[in-house]
Amino acid sequence: MEASEMSEDILMSLLDNLPGPFASPMLQPPAESAELAAILCGMIALYAVIRIIFEPDVMRKLPFLNVFSFSIAGIMALMIPHPLGVIAAAAYFIGSTFESNAIASTWAGGVEP
Amino acid sequence: MNILLLIIICIITLIGAVYAGYVRDPYAKLIGIGVIGGGVMPLIIARGYADVAAALAVIIPLSTVFVLQLCRKGEP
Amino acid sequence: MISLILQIGFAALCAWVLFITIDMIWALPREGGVVGAKAIAAAVEKAGGDLRGGTMMGNIVSSPDASAGTLLAACGVYCFGIPGGLLATVLVYIGNRICSDPGYAGTTGCFLATFMVYGGTKIGIPAEFFIIGMVIAILTIQGISHRHASRLLGKIWRLRK
Repeated sequence: MEASEMSEDILMSLLDNLPGPFASPMLQPPAESAELAAILCGMIALYAVIRIIFEPDVMRKLPFLNVFSFSIAGIMALMIPHPLGVIAAAAYFIGSTFESNAIASTWAGGVEP
Repeated sequence: MNILLLIIICIITLIGAVYAGYVRDPYAKLIGIGVIGGGVMPLIIARGYADVAAALAVIIPLSTVFVLQLCRKGEP
Repeated sequence: MISLILQIGFAALCAWVLFITIDMIWALPREGGVVGAKAIAAAVEKAGGDLRGGTMMGNIVSSPDASAGTLLAACGVYCFGIPGGLLATVLVYIGNRICSDPGYAGTTGCFLATFMVYGGTKIGIPAEFFIIGMVIAILTIQGISHRHASRLLGKIWRLRK
């Protein structure tokens, strides 16, 4: 019993000592209103995923996927208030748009050369 | 990142993965894989790895385009 | 609590008006442009919507347009102020060329939205409310009912002509 308590204490102290992303002084954690905005974006993303599942036509799933990408890009930008956050959010959004474009144009028969 | 947002993102990733596993239509499967990719990105950002997230944001859609070259045009 | 809802609603309304105006000015509902946009427009019309509205929804999905520009401008201003918004404009321009879209709807939308979001922060609405406001605006256009949204966009397009 003593050994298991000791190992639990060691585990807890190890978890406390691991630095999170906001341990460096250059970055302050997001503000209160940003947390609220991130949770709202998360709920909109969940709603969009549920609409993707229950939509029968494949081409009409793509606008819901677009709403999902908007909200995930918003969450990514809200979590890191640093220029790298904008670059990551923009890269994700442009990648997702490019992928939706590729899916839609392959379904429609491809681009004529 | 508080615990509620983390739970919502994990639920999104799981729902996307189960949907991509069960659906038959290849284009719907690719959309499900896109949902998995989108669900994973905030989890990477939450640990501070913004540059890894930016690199993955280019790699995942590019690999989807390569998979699309396997679906020839017009095939169901 | 009420002031939060009012601020988010006002930001959503500003973002909605801005991106619809810029997209109508750049004539997004006029033609297909990319092949993918035509496919989505045909699917929306089959479900009972309007063809012009469906073309605009297809163009929003296939290429970064003013809606994407507004969202990334709000993210840029949140992270870094006006230089962040201008960085987002450059990224949206690169994204337009990657998706082989010859237009400038995304770039102008991002540029104008930078100043709109900055003005909003001066009034007292923080930039994160513009991010969630833009997500709510795109949800109303593409996320609730494609039939009614495409008819609304078709009516606005006919007003413009």
